[in-house]
Amino acid sequence: MPSEPDGSGMDQFVAEARAFLDEHATRRAHTSDEVAWGEGEDRITYFSTDPPEVEAAKVAAAKAWQKVRYDNGFGWITGPPEFGGRGLSTLHDLVYDGLEAEYDVPDTGVLSLIGLGMIGPTILAHGTEGLKRHYLPAMYAGDVIACQLFSEPGAGSDLAGLATRAVRDGDGWLLNGQKVWTSVAHHAAIGLALCRTDPDKPKHKGITAFLVDMSAPGVDVRPLRQMSGGAEFNEVFLTDVHVPDDHRLGPVDGGWGVALTTLMNERASVGGEGAGAAGRAVALPFLTELLRANGRLDDAAARRRLAELYADQAATEYLNHQALRRFRAGEQPGPEASVSKIMYGQNLTRGAHFAAEIVGPRLIADTGEWGTFSWTELLLATPALRILGGTEEIMKNILAERVLGLPKEPSIDTKSPFRELRRSGRAEA
Amino acid sequence: MSTSTAAMADADTTRAEASDAELTELRTAVRDFLASKADEAAVRAAVDSERGYDDKVWAQIAAELGLPALALPTAYGGDGYGVVELSVVIGEMGRVLLPSPFFSTVVLAATAIVASGDAGAAERLLPGIAAGTTTATLTVPDRAGSWEPAAGTLGIHATGSGAEAVLEGSAPLVVEGGTAHVVLVVADGPGGPTLYEVDATATGFARTTLRTLDLTRRVARIDFSAAPARLVGEPGAAASVVARVLDVATTALAAEQVGGARACLQMATAYAKERMQFGRPIGSFQAVKHKCADMLARVQVADAAATEAARAVDGVPGSPDPGVAAAVAHAVCSEAFMAVAAENIQVHGGIGFTWEHPAHLYYRRAKASQLLFGGPAVYYERLLRRAGV
Repeated sequence: MPSEPDGSGMDQFVAEARAFLDEHATRRAHTSDEVAWGEGEDRITYFSTDPPEVEAAKVAAAKAWQKVRYDNGFGWITGPPEFGGRGLSTLHDLVYDGLEAEYDVPDTGVLSLIGLGMIGPTILAHGTEGLKRHYLPAMYAGDVIACQLFSEPGAGSDLAGLATRAVRDGDGWLLNGQKVWTSVAHHAAIGLALCRTDPDKPKHKGITAFLVDMSAPGVDVRPLRQMSGGAEFNEVFLTDVHVPDDHRLGPVDGGWGVALTTLMNERASVGGEGAGAAGRAVALPFLTELLRANGRLDDAAARRRLAELYADQAATEYLNHQALRRFRAGEQPGPEASVSKIMYGQNLTRGAHFAAEIVGPRLIADTGEWGTFSWTELLLATPALRILGGTEEIMKNILAERVLGLPKEPSIDTKSPFRELRRSGRAEA
Repeated sequence: MSTSTAAMADADTTRAEASDAELTELRTAVRDFLASKADEAAVRAAVDSERGYDDKVWAQIAAELGLPALALPTAYGGDGYGVVELSVVIGEMGRVLLPSPFFSTVVLAATAIVASGDAGAAERLLPGIAAGTTTATLTVPDRAGSWEPAAGTLGIHATGSGAEAVLEGSAPLVVEGGTAHVVLVVADGPGGPTLYEVDATATGFARTTLRTLDLTRRVARIDFSAAPARLVGEPGAAASVVARVLDVATTALAAEQVGGARACLQMATAYAKERMQFGRPIGSFQAVKHKCADMLARVQVADAAATEAARAVDGVPGSPDPGVAAAVAHAVCSEAFMAVAAENIQVHGGIGFTWEHPAHLYYRRAKASQLLFGGPAVYYERLLRRAGV
């Protein structure tokens, strides 16, 4: 990462981060560009499919590393100091990430993707002083994993159509309903839940947000096995779960504004660089070795498809560079970031199918040959990339309406009371 | 360097760099100028004119805006800026499909002269190019049309040694070759592919303006029959000159393609907002809306590719390898412009298929510019080679 003097003390920050990382971590031996074909673990993972004991060990390692970061001032670089943050800019955060990527450190995604990346900023924006003091330092110190209780079987793209009920119950609320596609719920201590508090109001206007203690009676987390075979996500059943009123985020019936804060941070975090095992597998160096190993390096048709894919991958990377440059110049990321997310999903999908074509029939069954059947794992994960974090269709609506200013479809459901709407899985009135 | 071609003043080390604010200012100035001088009616009038572009507008571009001088070395009448600044200008010209000798003169010919390192040629030609009084072009008549000259592949042969030579043969597709004052030619010379300069008034020089797919960029065939020519740079050194030209030209073309694609996107979006069918603007239907979103995504990615390539070709620190970035931009922007130009017609429906509607002018430019330096088969293979595959 560049460390040009820009008046923000960046040089000093970089030196400090470098010293911290040198002391607590080891630098990676290889750069990610080097490919050792046929060596090492034959896995191309996107979703983890670890056995429970391995997963538990990884979660423990993630929490431990986050604690080390936090104790040394790198746990929450952009956070306010009164809640354990460092009070620096997002640019400092990016610079730190760039430096840390050079080191071999535990993957902290279980903490950061949902909890620190989305729920933390939401609590900061909408939580009471008490909630902020109670949860934020614990979250960024790696002690508390948070999950997002948003999607429901009947409310996917149309999140505001959610039906989980919250009704007054003495000094608090009683929650009933079902959430789905909840990442890391089985590790989470708290969850941010959106609930219907007034079904007589239009759908966006009768929702309230709560922080739910995931160990409370009535919270039942069940693994949801996805098409790729693993169970990275969960269903969460809420049955008469009591939530104290001081765990409400934002006003009663004002939960949609809270949800928007969370979703804004989601879009900011999805669609970044194609790092990780899957990103490396579909990058040019690895695919080139795939062609070489299969005697296809001179195959004009294969070369053409590889070049088309590489051109789009490189251009997407350039798009991210440009976004970063704009960001440095003080511009906030806009809805244009959806382009990056769409491209990321498409490129990974194309890469998996390209590899499948090269591997050919050896993808049908596990022949034991290195670098063949292992592509199934990525191939089976890619359909999710066009769905999670906002479907491709919703992303396109956002681009068309918010960037291009095209008119919305005539809405038939934003004015009527929620209880009068037609909904999936419910008999028509 | 031999004595015949004295080393040029090294302009690269003193490249001027515009700030973001200055780039915006430049873009606005060019856009405003073109809005008043090159609206659709003016472009169509230029297309129908004999030379294919408006000479008065070209003179103003040079005299009032000083655009031909922008990216030329300061030692030869230029302002010393780079491809980043040049791309801003070309992008605006691409937006309105300005017919002009700018691309052939400034991007192709001037880049070749600078890349040749020939101080004599630079002194002879660049001040006139900077002032807009000399128009020029470059042709690389390799049989594959891929702008990768190798011995024995060129349609023009040079005989003679030293600074003077005689050319024989034919260049089938010369951009703005029908009007250029000076034509730079890569010919098979005694030492391999060599760059020569031919004056359009020379004996044995005959040109024929051709019917073109792209109505807004003229192309001519030039026949050389014992035409006198002057050596530019070193004998046998044209391949490396053309390699540099290709990086700069495909990067500038990428900016032009992004400009054209953005115009198509804006046209389609505006129409989708105003065209009513079934009692609603057609842009409220997701089938149309998503098409526009796809166009936007393509334009954004192409814009990033063109911008990054310009920075890379200028050697801006932290940018990727220029050969790779230029090849990425050429591929991505060619594909994007073609796709967006086609979808623009689709969003417009029947009206978009009429002669009167400008959509076909962009469609024509998109396809012609995609093929100008060899086309997809060539640019994808070049990209892989540049990336070391």
